[in-house]
Amino acid sequence: MISERTRRNLRRELRRSLLAKLGIVVVILMVAMAIFAPFISPYSPSQQNLDNARQPPLGFSTAETREVTQMENGSVVIEDGQVVTETQTVYTNATFAHPLGTDGNGRDILSRIIYGARTSILVGLFGTSLAALIGVLVGLSAGFYRGRVDDVLMRSADIMLAFPSLVLAIALVGVWGQAQAPIPDPFVATGIAPAFRSAVGLPTGMPETVVLPGTVIVVVALVNWVWFARVARGEALSIREEEYVKAAKALGASDGRTVLRHVLPNAITPILVLATIQVAAIILLESALSFLGFSGADVSWGFDIALGRQYQSTAWWISTMPGLAIVVTVIGLNLVGDWLRDALDPGIEGEGGV
Amino acid sequence: MSLSRFLIKRSLQGLFVIWGVITVVFGLRFISPGDPANVLLPPDVDPEVRAQVIAELGLNEPLYVQYWQFISGIPFGDLGLSLVTRTPVAARVVARLPATMELAIAATIVAVVIAIPLGVLSATRRHQPADYGATVFSLVGISTPNFWLGVMLILVLAVQLNLFPTSQRPIGLDGIAMLLAGGDVGAAVDGFVTWLWHITLPAITLGTYFTALITRLTRSGMLDQLGQTYVRASRAKGLPETLVRYKHALRNTLIPVITVIGLQLGTLIGGAVITEAVFAWPGLGTLIINSINARDWPVLQGSLIIVAVGFVLVNILVDALYAYVNPQVAYD
Repeated sequence: MISERTRRNLRRELRRSLLAKLGIVVVILMVAMAIFAPFISPYSPSQQNLDNARQPPLGFSTAETREVTQMENGSVVIEDGQVVTETQTVYTNATFAHPLGTDGNGRDILSRIIYGARTSILVGLFGTSLAALIGVLVGLSAGFYRGRVDDVLMRSADIMLAFPSLVLAIALVGVWGQAQAPIPDPFVATGIAPAFRSAVGLPTGMPETVVLPGTVIVVVALVNWVWFARVARGEALSIREEEYVKAAKALGASDGRTVLRHVLPNAITPILVLATIQVAAIILLESALSFLGFSGADVSWGFDIALGRQYQSTAWWISTMPGLAIVVTVIGLNLVGDWLRDALDPGIEGEGGV
Repeated sequence: MSLSRFLIKRSLQGLFVIWGVITVVFGLRFISPGDPANVLLPPDVDPEVRAQVIAELGLNEPLYVQYWQFISGIPFGDLGLSLVTRTPVAARVVARLPATMELAIAATIVAVVIAIPLGVLSATRRHQPADYGATVFSLVGISTPNFWLGVMLILVLAVQLNLFPTSQRPIGLDGIAMLLAGGDVGAAVDGFVTWLWHITLPAITLGTYFTALITRLTRSGMLDQLGQTYVRASRAKGLPETLVRYKHALRNTLIPVITVIGLQLGTLIGGAVITEAVFAWPGLGTLIINSINARDWPVLQGSLIIVAVGFVLVNILVDALYAYVNPQVAYD
């Protein structure tokens, strides 16, 4: 489906652009992190240690004053019927055991970021695929048949576009509730990851399931399919006038065959460019839903940012770290999107000139 | 096609979309598990009381009657009653509008004021440090979730440095206008300062994405225009470079930029919802989130209708403006 000329353009643009290389590296790293989470995560994302809560990340330490009950010979000191307390300054230092620090429940933030990548990437990939499937089907039919089919399909797309996507997504997830499908983690179920972890001396007890946030995936697809429909329709409108499409029809090819074998392959490039940018947009949408507490995810970058807010005066890193993970991932995807666009569509003026 | 015929056609399309929006919103209730009576009643309620409440809410009527009741009041501003407070939804939504509109407008101002000069600078100093700086800024800006940016601004500027309040909107422009109307200029000025102090962080939070986006668009638009023949002709004719850049190239760049600003209004409103949640800003966004948490369907439905209708109307307005400003546009 990808021609030799396209591949040449992609390679040439990749050689020229440092940012494109950077984007690809970031995306590969993030996907690898998500896939191999049970191997590389230092701890389980849900393992709590309340004695070690709010430990700062490497390079930082905190001093905190606390009221502590005074103890003498292992018992509480009582004077005038009152428990005696004293003010102590408690210093917390960073350790290599938790390079990004720990959260309010003493969970390791690095581990939560590694496992959070799974939520983001699952929703990004499945959400975009579903949106593309719906949108491309609708768009190609509208553009290929034109007339009444086109009118009905594109007017319903207009109705969808009248809702701001985040608002519609919040409403749909809020109304629908959260359906999640726990799928056994293949690396844990087969025993490969636990064996690896005990061999290298990492703590075991990793989550046995990967949670697939079903409702969120359906909802992000429902609010984003319209963009694919618009692009696919535009392509189909011009491709249907091409000689080879007319030839296929003249030879008696069915509509389905004509669309799938002749129209779709020639419309695939702009759809791919759009899909890359949509993965980024959908990851942002998922993080927003999780931040508001509507996605039902308990390990998600957006959700962890919200959890950290109650510690904003004592432990800034709890909200900061997962946000950085989102920014880095989305920058990576946007850079890959720019690369594809510059390489596949030379008609568009390039942007980042580094 | 004349401008008036174009407007009529566009308005009819808009009406159709608004009807569709209302119908979709009506349908929302049927995908929710559990019926609205559950919101009002404890689970162990007497079945007779329950039946009575259902009858009062009109939930036992046939679907088409419910649909008609829902849709027929809307042209007269009747969006039904809140399940929780039993007060008219329309009044509650309208009370929240000023806060959201203020925030959206403030963010747009922040974006336009920063982005257009930055984009122009970036394009006219291509491959210089200013250009790289602007390019990096716009890449990071479009990739940063605004709610996280808001949390970070609160963390640094409000909690650590104590320069701005962390949340709330003690007074709005509507309140300030009322003070002015009452002749209390001193209080109005104080109110305005308080308002400005409280809206700064939310406006930056909401505006950053748009600043980044418009910077990108202005830069690539300017580069495109500066490469056109008419620019070379103007330069050859001896026009001063500032005139060429700012009068000719920039003006032609702004037309598509304005269209994109119009098209992005939906994103702006979506962004406002979550910005409001971060800063406890009492606008439509917090109303929508609260109504979902309280399962107050009529308030959710009313807010969605107002947001979508507003969006459709603004889009028609932008189209009309665009057609008016740029006579080349074909009205279709």
